Amino acid sequence: MDTRTITVAGRTVEIAETGRGAPLLYLHGFADLHAASVEWLPFHEMLARSFRVIAPAHPCCAGSEEDEEIETIDDLAFRYMETIDALGFDKVDIVGACVGGWIAAELAVRHPERIRRIALIGASGLFVPDAPIGDLFWETQAQNGTVYAGLRRLLFADENVSEGLAMFPDSRTDIARELSRYKTMRFASRIGFSPPYFYNRKLRDRLYRFTGPALLLWGERDRMVPPAHARAYEAGFPKARLHLIRQAGHSPQVETPAETATAIAAFFKPAPTPKAAAKAPSRRKAAARPAAKAKAAPARKAPPAKAKAKARPAVRKLARRGRR
Amino acid sequence: MRPVQLFCWHFMAYPYLPPDFDEKYESGWVTVPNKLWDRERTDGLYQEYIDQLVYAEELGFDGLVLNEHHQNIYGLMPSPNLIAAALTQRTKRARLVVLGSLLPLYLNPLRIAEEYAMVDSMSGGRLIAGFAMGGGPEAFNYNIPQPQARDRYWEAIDLIHRCWTEDGPFRHDGPHYPLRYVNVWPRPRQLPHPPIWIPGALSLETMENVAKRGYDYFLSSRTHGAATRLAAQRFAGIIKQHGGTYHPFRMGILLSVYVSETDEQARAEAKEGVWYFLKNTLKGHLRKEGRPLTFGPGVPSTTVRSFEHFLKSGGSFGGKQLGDVESWEELDAGGSIIAGSPKTVRERLWSLVEQAGVGNLLMQFHFGNMRADLARKSMRLFATEVAPALRRDSAALFARDYPELSDIPVAGAAQ
Repeated sequence: MDTRTITVAGRTVEIAETGRGAPLLYLHGFADLHAASVEWLPFHEMLARSFRVIAPAHPCCAGSEEDEEIETIDDLAFRYMETIDALGFDKVDIVGACVGGWIAAELAVRHPERIRRIALIGASGLFVPDAPIGDLFWETQAQNGTVYAGLRRLLFADENVSEGLAMFPDSRTDIARELSRYKTMRFASRIGFSPPYFYNRKLRDRLYRFTGPALLLWGERDRMVPPAHARAYEAGFPKARLHLIRQAGHSPQVETPAETATAIAAFFKPAPTPKAAAKAPSRRKAAARPAAKAKAAPARKAPPAKAKAKARPAVRKLARRGRR
Repeated sequence: MRPVQLFCWHFMAYPYLPPDFDEKYESGWVTVPNKLWDRERTDGLYQEYIDQLVYAEELGFDGLVLNEHHQNIYGLMPSPNLIAAALTQRTKRARLVVLGSLLPLYLNPLRIAEEYAMVDSMSGGRLIAGFAMGGGPEAFNYNIPQPQARDRYWEAIDLIHRCWTEDGPFRHDGPHYPLRYVNVWPRPRQLPHPPIWIPGALSLETMENVAKRGYDYFLSSRTHGAATRLAAQRFAGIIKQHGGTYHPFRMGILLSVYVSETDEQARAEAKEGVWYFLKNTLKGHLRKEGRPLTFGPGVPSTTVRSFEHFLKSGGSFGGKQLGDVESWEELDAGGSIIAGSPKTVRERLWSLVEQAGVGNLLMQFHFGNMRADLARKSMRLFATEVAPALRRDSAALFARDYPELSDIPVAGAAQ
């Protein structure tokens, strides 16, 4: 994996990059590179056939320096805008998995003028009554000291899936793996332990601010961030598309890489030309088009809920949110 | 010369768990269902535990120790200051050690500055003020993000220190507890402030913070031997770097003791309580079985550097902890639970004092569901047949090794 480092707010940030084409900023999750893998996953390599994938490691993960200033998701959002500045992007497309999806959503509602499109994979970030986000921290304290079945149940549809066992084996003798996990959790604790628990209660009522296209790609069997969260995101973003993957859990980027990569590639293709990007209407058109061209049939089928959401005037949506 | 200071520590365990507890529940902490609390049988439980501490004073112990834990069966003192307040009315002489209040769990550390000042005032200046950060179970119980906890903890300590030593009202502009009017009433009885004890588990960071402020260190480890001596030497070295002087009363250690007429009798009598303590109350805390919550990546309180050091120095997960031992022989090797005749206990403790040069011995006498009469008998035998020799020999040892000590006021020593 090719990586380099840049300096953001005086701290080192590790950036992995692969592929050619339009740039895609990838914000990682837990069953992911920079956290549970030192290499690109097959999913990223598939994306890299059509895109230039740029994946920073979150502060304290992999080669990125810990940032003691980060105490809330708000602090982290600032760091990521600075990272986007440092990478030289005026406008950017973002894919975010799990906590990375949460970060992407926070960036999108704060800076809709800088974020063009977002694809969220099993994103945390919302508070949804009766659909609590699973306790990653608890499950990271292995059963009987070494058994991670509970953690794998949160992160994958099947706790014995080979990719899951490879990332989270029932042993704790590999020092590099232990250290990497510790760093990842140290990062996660800063923004996700309390309060809130991997969510920002205010985010849901701010989603309307992001008017660009949003793809919500979710495993139907996600036990970490239940699919109810996907629907809540879908209802909140004015221009959302939901893509559920039947056999996946919380980590479609690991569990169903081909379907996930295809759906994401279709969503982001074709990349708007710089000219088109400058004008909002044509950008929307460009984003609406790719589904027709896409190889993946599932991405095209918009569920009925989505059609309703689209038809509903923004004002009504606001009123509905207010009642929650 | 001042001899070793002997403290009686009561954890106040929940003693009425069902016999199949270990099979049915993954932890004695955080998620242990509180439907197991038996309203009828617990009538008088706190009374009995307080009585045991009062008895310790009668027996001549120098101090009584309490601590704070939440939502668990290991220690039923979510508020140790309530017990300390009760003890101020039942005791006259012994030091009251709260070791310690878990500062990051409080919305505002002023509360602890105030409560400790009350206890110090109510006890005529007998409080030893312990401040602790709280471990993994408390992180889950009170929702404390661990990477930030350490900063909050030290800011809280420094604020409390100011509360006690500076005239109010003053302003505190710390990042975690900014306050416009700090003006604590009452003020503590002791000058310049009650002795401050800080628990630590060998981390250099903690030792440095303690040494820098001139506080005393309590090694919270539950195994003893070469590492205890090493800790004392390391702490002494750090104190020196900060321009201070080490002496045995700068440091304390935790031990568990059961004394009976003979070694065999001690084991036979202590067995039920000790094994209840090890297998039930340590489940979820210092035991591999179940769901260990105290330390690890889910509750990442130590810095990445410290954790890396821990990993590379052979700190292994799934290695044996106190709650994993299966025999008395293993317990003996661990060095922290000592059950035996007065002679055995005296020799074991003496070798620890002699090797490590530690002057504050904090000892647990009541284990898990141990019967009250047994705990009292053990305390009595300790006081009459172990303590006198320990005091005599340690006074001579400290006079030889720390001749300058006679001129140093010893914080924490009983008046």
